[in-house]
Amino acid sequence: MFSKISLGRYYPAHSFLHETDPRVKTILYGVYLVTVFMIREPVSVALLAGIVILQLILAKITPGILWSTVKPMLPLALFIFIINVLTIKQGDVLFSWKIITITGYGIGRASIMAVRLIFLIISTSVLLTLTTTPLKMSDALEKLFAPLSLIKVPVHEMAMMMSIALRFIPTLAAETDKIMKAQQSRGADYDTGSFINKVRGYITVLIPLFVSSFRRADELAVAMDARCYSGGKGRTKLNPLNLTLRDVLTGIMFTLLAVLVVLVDLSLR
Amino acid sequence: MPEDPNSIVIKDVSFSYEIPEEDSGKAPRPALDGISITIAKGSYTAILGSNGSGKSTLAKIIDVLEVPDSGKVVIFGKDAGNDDLFWDIRSHCCCVFQNPDNQIVGTIVEEDVAFGPENLGIPNPELRQRVDQALKDVGLYELRHRETTALSGGQKQKLAIAGALAMQPDILILDESTAMLDPSSRDDFLALVEKMRLEKGLTLITITHDMTEALRCDKLIIVDKGKAVMEGRPEEIFMSDDLWKYGLKRPVKYIFAFEIAKLTGQRLTCDDLKSDETLISALADMLKKPDIKAPEAPEEKKAKTDRHEVIMSVKDLSYTYDGSDVKAIDNINLDIMKGEVLGIVGESGCGKTTLISHMNAIFRPVSGDVTISTKDGVLSCRNKKDTLKIRQNVGLVFQYPEYQLFEETVYKDIAFGLRKMDVPKTEQKSLIREAAYRVGLTEKELDSSPFELSGGQKRRAAMAGVLVMNPGILVLDEPASGLDPRGRQEMFTIIRCLRDSGTTVVLVSHNMDEAAVNCDRICLIDGGKIKAVGTPAELFSKEKAEELNIQRPRITRFSERLRKELEKVYPDIVFDGMEFEPEKEALSVVKSVCREAGKHNVQ
Repeated sequence: MFSKISLGRYYPAHSFLHETDPRVKTILYGVYLVTVFMIREPVSVALLAGIVILQLILAKITPGILWSTVKPMLPLALFIFIINVLTIKQGDVLFSWKIITITGYGIGRASIMAVRLIFLIISTSVLLTLTTTPLKMSDALEKLFAPLSLIKVPVHEMAMMMSIALRFIPTLAAETDKIMKAQQSRGADYDTGSFINKVRGYITVLIPLFVSSFRRADELAVAMDARCYSGGKGRTKLNPLNLTLRDVLTGIMFTLLAVLVVLVDLSLR
Repeated sequence: MPEDPNSIVIKDVSFSYEIPEEDSGKAPRPALDGISITIAKGSYTAILGSNGSGKSTLAKIIDVLEVPDSGKVVIFGKDAGNDDLFWDIRSHCCCVFQNPDNQIVGTIVEEDVAFGPENLGIPNPELRQRVDQALKDVGLYELRHRETTALSGGQKQKLAIAGALAMQPDILILDESTAMLDPSSRDDFLALVEKMRLEKGLTLITITHDMTEALRCDKLIIVDKGKAVMEGRPEEIFMSDDLWKYGLKRPVKYIFAFEIAKLTGQRLTCDDLKSDETLISALADMLKKPDIKAPEAPEEKKAKTDRHEVIMSVKDLSYTYDGSDVKAIDNINLDIMKGEVLGIVGESGCGKTTLISHMNAIFRPVSGDVTISTKDGVLSCRNKKDTLKIRQNVGLVFQYPEYQLFEETVYKDIAFGLRKMDVPKTEQKSLIREAAYRVGLTEKELDSSPFELSGGQKRRAAMAGVLVMNPGILVLDEPASGLDPRGRQEMFTIIRCLRDSGTTVVLVSHNMDEAAVNCDRICLIDGGKIKAVGTPAELFSKEKAEELNIQRPRITRFSERLRKELEKVYPDIVFDGMEFEPEKEALSVVKSVCREAGKHNVQ
């Protein structure tokens, strides 16, 4: 079950967005994060949906992959929807029973809230994780935050740690699966019993997982040493980040589109 | 001392790992203890030794990953103690380690290969060219944009080699790099490395537990307790009778040859071991002597109980993983007899692990069924409420089970299953003692933390945790992988004792040699399907093996050449059937020759 985690997974392909400079994508991600939280009118939400679809096409992401990224977050979206429906009491009452009041306005607002969350996930995946390898992403962050190293923030090291963490997610997921199977075959049961029992069951999984993570970290450190890693100084890059005119134009275009959406939204209020 | 620019010189080197604060009372056992060795430039050297003998530490010293406490390390004339040179030395020496997953840094194949040269600060047109060349050299160029996690074990190790070649090293160290590979990927990998050695003039140092692999080298160094105890050409080293003391064994063909020499009362010389041809002609000469006496070996009591009772039955079992189009296992039908050792053999990724995961309902059969006869009647793995009973009856030990230990003491860890089965505390004690006894763990080891034990002991502790439930069927996935030759032999002794006490054993392996010796029947799996089931003698007969396209055990291939040679001397000779233990095969050949020679003498 853990091997299906799609969080932070890279989707290898050649597409317009795959080849866009990761720094531009990171900045655009920031722009869209703000946009998603600023808008609340259905028209602007629809406009944003159009832009997101355009991005999906530019990244050559198939509906199947999109679904596998969105699926794990659906329960959360549903939860947000229900909470909002139940708490918003303005507008025409559609249904009322004891303390439960459902209004048309409430349903509309709640839908927008849920849709926003889904947009958030899609933007994160499309602009960052699905189209950018962890190493490129850490390169981008390293470059964008480079000024911080002047005040002694270890930017390179943090970026490297991040990319290694992402690289090891599938490995550790497989390991977790293995440990659980071994314990299940010794009679462990993670699905039934009281809550306390379940938590206890997971502890017996976590201990060997931690031990093996430390072992792996140790071995990886030796392997990196053996390959002459000594921090960011003097390192060259196989695929150095290269800001082209196309990247700049892409950045400007999508930023303008985001601004347009926000302006439309503000004008409708 | 003039420093030789053409060799690696290690002189009186000692090294101890730092020990954690709380243990500082104990004196540290040095990993290396005044070791001195010399390795010539361009040579192919194997470093052999038991688990924990200091082999890997030695590799780290050569790559300057560890700095010795005392002694001198000079690599091709450069002193590793010199702070200005050590970086230079390290950049010309590369290591490939055992676990492929723990040495890959990049997410994408070419990013990972570039990691080393990037660290060296190689500028771009050259960097790109080096990466592409290295990938072409190892045959991964087509996969350069793949995710590294999507590669197979063999491909991952090739990737590690590419990462090393891109740094253009002078020295390449393989630290048990083939231990986790199946035989065909292993041969593939070694052929690649040896080709690279000749093409690029590398000095190749390999650390291995595989004695037949060591035969490919120019020179062997045996390390024991941090000292180099033997050094020489393979034929010199394997003449020695002390190997067992160091946790090693002779390669199978030498065990076979030395046994023939012993049975005929003669001696092999170092020259005889030079090549297969010299060895066969020496053995044929020994057996040609007219006056050899038939050895008085006790007739083997082959207690072949007829095994009619089916204890587990796999019917029409298929399974497909989510998101995959290919069936991991495809219509498997297999009966397992009570009291037998059944080998399940096949290459990595053929579906072995998927199959055994169905045997105790870790995977519930989706199409087909697995039924198990127990004292509570016949249980079906499809039946959810019998799950716990099935897991009590079928013990499953996965590969590298020692990584799954978690309790404070070995005793508590073994008790885990009993607690889950609600066995009363009073009964637990005797059951745990018994399980520990069966795998050979002492009382003292039961009370210590599992993380303090050595690798082999940890594995036994993990096995005891499954045995404690007294399963009628024990399924073992590669129980001997990663152990030194002595550890392997001990593991198979444990398995044989289990069988003798009535446990049915399912043994998953990719090692044909060991499967042939230890299994009553072998089930061959290929691409998720059963290719053949039969006794080792049936499957490894010449015709059948050719038909199935499988490699026969090393001993069989070697002994057959000798048998052919002997047929030239005794055209009418009738040989007994093939044995798979080298000692028994030697006895069988000698007996056949004596019988034939006896006939000639009477005439």
